[in-house]
Amino acid sequence: MAFVTRLLQLIPVWLAISLLAFGLGHLTPGDPARLVAAQLSDGPPSNELVARVRTELGLDKPLPIQYVYWLGNIVQGDWGTSFRTGNAVLTELVRRFPATLRLAALAFVISVVVAPTLGVLAALYKGSVIDQFSRLLALVGASLPSFWLAFMLIIVFSVNLKWLPVSGQGSWQHLILPATSLSLISLPSLMRLTRSSLLDVLQEDYLRTAQAKGLRQRWVILKHALRNAFIPVVTVAGMSLGHLLGGAAIIEIVFAYPGVGKFLIDSIGNRDYPVIQAYVLFLGTIFVVINLLIDVVYTLLDPRISLDQKHAQHV
Amino acid sequence: MNTSLRTLLIAACLLFTSSFASELTMAVPNDGYRTDERANVGMYPLNANIYDTLVYVSPDYSVEPMLATSWEFIEPNTYRFFLREDVVFHDGSAFTAEDVKYSIDRVVAARPSGGLGADSVVIVDDYTLDITPESPNRRLLQQLTHPSWSILASGADPVTNPIGTGPFKYVEYAPEEYITVTRNDAYWGEAAQLEGITFRFIPDPNTRILALQAGEVDVAYDLPREQTEDVTGSNGLSVTTSQVGAYAALYVNVSGNEGYELGSDPAVRAAVARAIDKSLIVDDVWLGNATVNSSMIPERILGEFSSVVQGQAYDPEAAEQILGDAGWVDSNGDGTRDKNGRELNLTMVVGFPNPDIHRPMPEIVQALLADIGINMTIDITPDTASYDARLEEGSGDLWAEVGNQNDANPCFLPNGLFYSQSPWGAYPLRFAPGEDFDVFIEQCLAATTTTEVAEAAANAMKLIIDDENVVIPIAGIFRIYGHRDDISGFEAHPSTVNQRWNLVSQ
Repeated sequence: MAFVTRLLQLIPVWLAISLLAFGLGHLTPGDPARLVAAQLSDGPPSNELVARVRTELGLDKPLPIQYVYWLGNIVQGDWGTSFRTGNAVLTELVRRFPATLRLAALAFVISVVVAPTLGVLAALYKGSVIDQFSRLLALVGASLPSFWLAFMLIIVFSVNLKWLPVSGQGSWQHLILPATSLSLISLPSLMRLTRSSLLDVLQEDYLRTAQAKGLRQRWVILKHALRNAFIPVVTVAGMSLGHLLGGAAIIEIVFAYPGVGKFLIDSIGNRDYPVIQAYVLFLGTIFVVINLLIDVVYTLLDPRISLDQKHAQHV
Repeated sequence: MNTSLRTLLIAACLLFTSSFASELTMAVPNDGYRTDERANVGMYPLNANIYDTLVYVSPDYSVEPMLATSWEFIEPNTYRFFLREDVVFHDGSAFTAEDVKYSIDRVVAARPSGGLGADSVVIVDDYTLDITPESPNRRLLQQLTHPSWSILASGADPVTNPIGTGPFKYVEYAPEEYITVTRNDAYWGEAAQLEGITFRFIPDPNTRILALQAGEVDVAYDLPREQTEDVTGSNGLSVTTSQVGAYAALYVNVSGNEGYELGSDPAVRAAVARAIDKSLIVDDVWLGNATVNSSMIPERILGEFSSVVQGQAYDPEAAEQILGDAGWVDSNGDGTRDKNGRELNLTMVVGFPNPDIHRPMPEIVQALLADIGINMTIDITPDTASYDARLEEGSGDLWAEVGNQNDANPCFLPNGLFYSQSPWGAYPLRFAPGEDFDVFIEQCLAATTTTEVAEAAANAMKLIIDDENVVIPIAGIFRIYGHRDDISGFEAHPSTVNQRWNLVSQ
């Protein structure tokens, strides 16, 4: 029941996202009717042609009317037609999204394996070489733009060592460099959060009590410290999956990786509203779902937390 | 013959064959193909040579026969084409006038263009046809050189059934990844040297260079001008450039909105034109991978009339003199000239076709104008849509553009951009210099010979560049290819969309 209530609470959130997705696109300067008309003429289009295209695309109607039409169609599964390619938006996104998902998923795996591991080691061996190394890595990683790292990785591993392909897709090797570059979006912050969270938990009285009871140190860390230290880490890690999906565009362009990110960038440049709106709404929906899943994971990590707020214990 | 000798011979044969039957992988920028009813896969913007056109524009911009062997103009407005009779499509069917009608009707149905309508193409016999535009169009020949007017077999489609007559046959197209073609052994013209070509779409220019250096591709197209040394400095790699086929220029807004009307002052335009050191930009910044340009139109198109347009020489003293004589002086000593209480502040809008292609020209122009007391602000628009919106508003004084000469019509650009009756949206509204210019364009549109067209175009460009300073040409731009040293037979076409690959070998 609590879960259903939670789901219903997401509806207004989703509607707000849809309003933002629709509104933000229309706020940017540029006239999609003119861009579409340009494709129909031998040069910059005439004002008459632009007006005709605007009517055909329904862009001459008031924005609230356009929004209602758009949302109604989305709910019925009609995501519209791309102004730029002339194909159904859903078809365009479905064709490209799996590639982006593969890339983001691998980057996510790299982040959630490497970051907590290094973070835990850095916390447990505070002040040691590994702690210094982890902190330096987090600092450098957070400071570097991911596209710069991407080019450096290509120069080292593709141009000089010739171990991995420069660009494209087709094999697991094609994913390594882009996913590593992309993981830089979330890996440094996750590592630092894991370290600081675990250091905080390690100061708690209940851990000293557990140790005083004679529990083995490894058991104390695994059973008691990590479960609590990981609660904020899970939040950030979960949200990072959304960030990785949204942030893949630049990496996809650098590696000529045919995902949805590059398609979105091209669509923004062409004011292809149906594509921009649909993808922003889609990403927003993913964030909402991830949020919900994070809440579920909370209850698994800490039984004191409940989806039903009436029964939640204050901790 | 014993077994080992036979094996040796087979191996030698295979080695010999493979050295000639090679395949090329080429990195090109964005995949701009459409796959809807206006599908143009393999045609435009990347011409994969799957299809031929009726006529072809050569690297020196002359119109040459392709699928049409000859043509004649029939008054008042008809072109009659005589077709090759020895051509077969990739599926073995014979090429006839029916296929030309099908192909042109297909384009017209999806995208009314070039003044052609549903009834414009009339078949005379199997190898003769008439094309009559709906309105007078003496530039039809030049227009038909564009690969958008490629000829397909009747019933064919670029996506589902791509059958052409070109030197390469369609194999596979993966959107935003690659398009692959293989040699057409039955090609009517000079057969392709390569077994096949895979064009890989790699949008980032740095990645294209790295892919070339890593050996992942054999050729990389559209290298940044300032990065060619990265290629020539690598073992086994070279750079090939085309003749000038594009231009970088500044247009001065002569009809700006409030706050942006300084371009209407002839003295300001004349001073700006003389204050820009084009050699500095071309030689020192773009490393000689462009050429100083006196006009927007390639010299070879204007032919004997190219010297009519001189362009303004770099002369900062003269620029200062012009401004001083017009009353623009630095009265308050802040380094910027002023007149009647108004500072000489200009805004350069940079963004067509993208801001990156201009870099770092705007900053250099900014510094050069500061030397003569003009304060210039640079406004970068992230994409064409934002740029168009600014142009519509008229909020800018100098407009940086890079444009292409993709057909052989010298009047195409001046007519569209600066003719007061041009339908090209905001361009004539901001940049049309007036009636004197219009007269030349009207002469150009009515001209019946190539010489007349070139003369009218040259006069129009002289007026707008030398006399009125509405256009300030910066540079003529090459197409730049990086490739392996062992690639031969490659002549870079100044218009990329007309590039042919059949003579390339490795």
